[in-house]
Amino acid sequence: MTTPLLEELAPAGPRRPRPIARRSAALGLLALAVFALVGPLVLADPAAQDLGRYLESPSLAEPLGRDDYGRSVLARLAHATRLSLVLAALCVATALVLGTAAGIASAWLGGWVDAALRAVSEAFVAIPALLVVLLVSALASGGSLWALYLGLALAQWVEYFRVVRARASLVLGSPAVEAAGLLRLGPVHIIRQHLWPDLRPLLTTLASLGMVTSILAMSTLGFVKVGLQPPRAELGLMITDAFPFYDVAPWMVIAPIGVLFLLTVCFLGLRTSKDA
Amino acid sequence: MTETARSPHRTDHLLSVPKAIVRHGSHTLADVADLRIEPGRALTIVGESGSGKSVLAHALMGTLPTELTAEGSMSIGPTRFDLADRRGRRHLWGRELALLPQEPSLALDPTMRVRQQVAEGAYGWRPRDAAALRLADERLDHFGLANAGSAYPHTLSGGMAQRVAYAAATIGGASILIVDEPSKGLDANALELLARLLDDHLAQGGLLLMITHDLRLARRIGGTVMVMRAATVVESGPAEEVLTTPAHDYTRQLVAADPANWSFPWMRRATASASGAEPGVPALVSAHSIAKTYGDRTLFNDVDIEIRAGERWAITGPSGVGKTTLGNVLLRLTSADRGTVVHAPGTGDGRLQKLYQDPGLSFPRRVSLQRALRDVMRRYEVPEARVHALLAKVGLSPSILQRRPTEVSGGELQRIAIVRAMLPRPALLFADEATSRLDLASQQATMDILMSELDEIGCALLMVTHDRAMASAVADRQLSLEVQP
Repeated sequence: MTTPLLEELAPAGPRRPRPIARRSAALGLLALAVFALVGPLVLADPAAQDLGRYLESPSLAEPLGRDDYGRSVLARLAHATRLSLVLAALCVATALVLGTAAGIASAWLGGWVDAALRAVSEAFVAIPALLVVLLVSALASGGSLWALYLGLALAQWVEYFRVVRARASLVLGSPAVEAAGLLRLGPVHIIRQHLWPDLRPLLTTLASLGMVTSILAMSTLGFVKVGLQPPRAELGLMITDAFPFYDVAPWMVIAPIGVLFLLTVCFLGLRTSKDA
Repeated sequence: MTETARSPHRTDHLLSVPKAIVRHGSHTLADVADLRIEPGRALTIVGESGSGKSVLAHALMGTLPTELTAEGSMSIGPTRFDLADRRGRRHLWGRELALLPQEPSLALDPTMRVRQQVAEGAYGWRPRDAAALRLADERLDHFGLANAGSAYPHTLSGGMAQRVAYAAATIGGASILIVDEPSKGLDANALELLARLLDDHLAQGGLLLMITHDLRLARRIGGTVMVMRAATVVESGPAEEVLTTPAHDYTRQLVAADPANWSFPWMRRATASASGAEPGVPALVSAHSIAKTYGDRTLFNDVDIEIRAGERWAITGPSGVGKTTLGNVLLRLTSADRGTVVHAPGTGDGRLQKLYQDPGLSFPRRVSLQRALRDVMRRYEVPEARVHALLAKVGLSPSILQRRPTEVSGGELQRIAIVRAMLPRPALLFADEATSRLDLASQQATMDILMSELDEIGCALLMVTHDRAMASAVADRQLSLEVQP
């Protein structure tokens, strides 16, 4: 224990991250979420074609114009954003629960459990994340949502596992946990008062990064046409589909890119910096 | 060309501080006038933690945190420096003015080998400078650390880390040395080695300002002593005078806080139960011919010990000898390589407790003390009133429990740890250097609280300490560990 020079002064509380940045990130994310959840309910059918309104320019009624099949770009964008957010949240939740449980089990039990889990995790680390998703997609029928979900979750749990295992072994080896053991307080106390408060800030940071990774991975796969298949509205697919018309209808490309950019910035801005 | 070892400049310069004030906002942390340090005669500032000693040292050095403001001036010989100007003294660092920081093992860079680290302070150092490295080797050799050059700091004992930090601080040949709490966590041997280094520095005409709460070290170094309390100097004069016949009440309290001068109702005179096990009292913990080895180092071999209800044991010995490990083996927190440790039936249910050297690490870090204690209270069905009564006994208000462990001082936290350890009504308490990081006054107060509690519930004590004076003041049985060949 060091004796800080300022021991007798008011101890510095957790350092607040720039509140304006965080608040605007949260607001931006809320706006995107409302767009994604309410949009599909009130906007037109994203699959309704109207070839007569081929590549229509943006107007008041149709703020983002229409695409090469005459479908409403705004409606497609709302569906694509909902798909990205929901699927990413599912992947992150699955990876987080799986990785955290495995990490705590590994740090707590040690021995062969630890060795086995570590071996599995290292096998996953050795393969690039996108390749894992591709492998799972290849095994399932093309363009299935389930394959994408499973692939992304499998590619991500390792990160949670490694971070949680490293942190949990530190916490479990600390005198505080030894003291709790001498007081016979049991595993529930150790998880609730020792592990969880210590892991929570790490996990929120990882989860917000994980949302970004999942959303970008999904659109990357869509962009190279191995993820979800048309006519489903997906951000990456929308970008590739719109490329040939960039000269005449640039808004079609810019709209999904803008949504991806905003999602990324907002999730990154949401991270707390008090987990030091 | 080679740079020869620069011995401290033989200056006839005085360091004098007509006035120095350090503030944090409107709160004054140190307010000192007419401070003079002469070559060859140490100036020691003693006082409890929070009295402003360290802040003053950093103000003179020019290394105060930016939240603090300094006022006043300091002169080294004919040159005058403004204390408010942090940058003005930077060119003196290492050459003229050096600081040996608190907790040297934390001040050293854990990722760098000792030799390179010491060499960095040499005059005219460049990366991979052969002359500086040679000089570093020379200095390390001089301090009896010839083999430590290629080691990383975490492999060093506290005393060795202290001497490495000393070599790094003084390699630039500074004549003015400021030493901040050098005795923290050091055993008597390491402290004596350090005291000799400081003697050498003084004998070569160096200037020394020492900040400490260890009166034995202050006596050993001699020179002038200043006693600080609540930001001001309450008494100053020659060491032998101030520390033997103190004039001020506060200094008297400080001198009385030395374990050798303790006198409390719970103290048993060693005559009471000096030898032989009392028959009829069952052993709580009995260990037979236990041994423990780490790597190729044998910590202890064939140790037999039986701790009976109500006994007070002390394990003493130099640091790094395996005292804490022995205690942990007795509590079965660590397993022995050989031998058996038997706990009496009925000690299983939380009736063996431990106090840690660093109480901050023994509480969950990120939750309030209230939450941490709530589970203990529920587990042992302790009514809240008893916790409050215990807190009142140790001189704390229940509102302190709203805070997190990082927001409470070390002395207060150790008292809360005592309260926590008392809740299961333990039969044996293992105190692992529980007060070694506290200043003398808090050490005395904490031990008094602890022993009164133990006395009241008839709990046995197993104490690990490097302080023999304290061991003989508190314990009635001692086990002394020596370094194994």
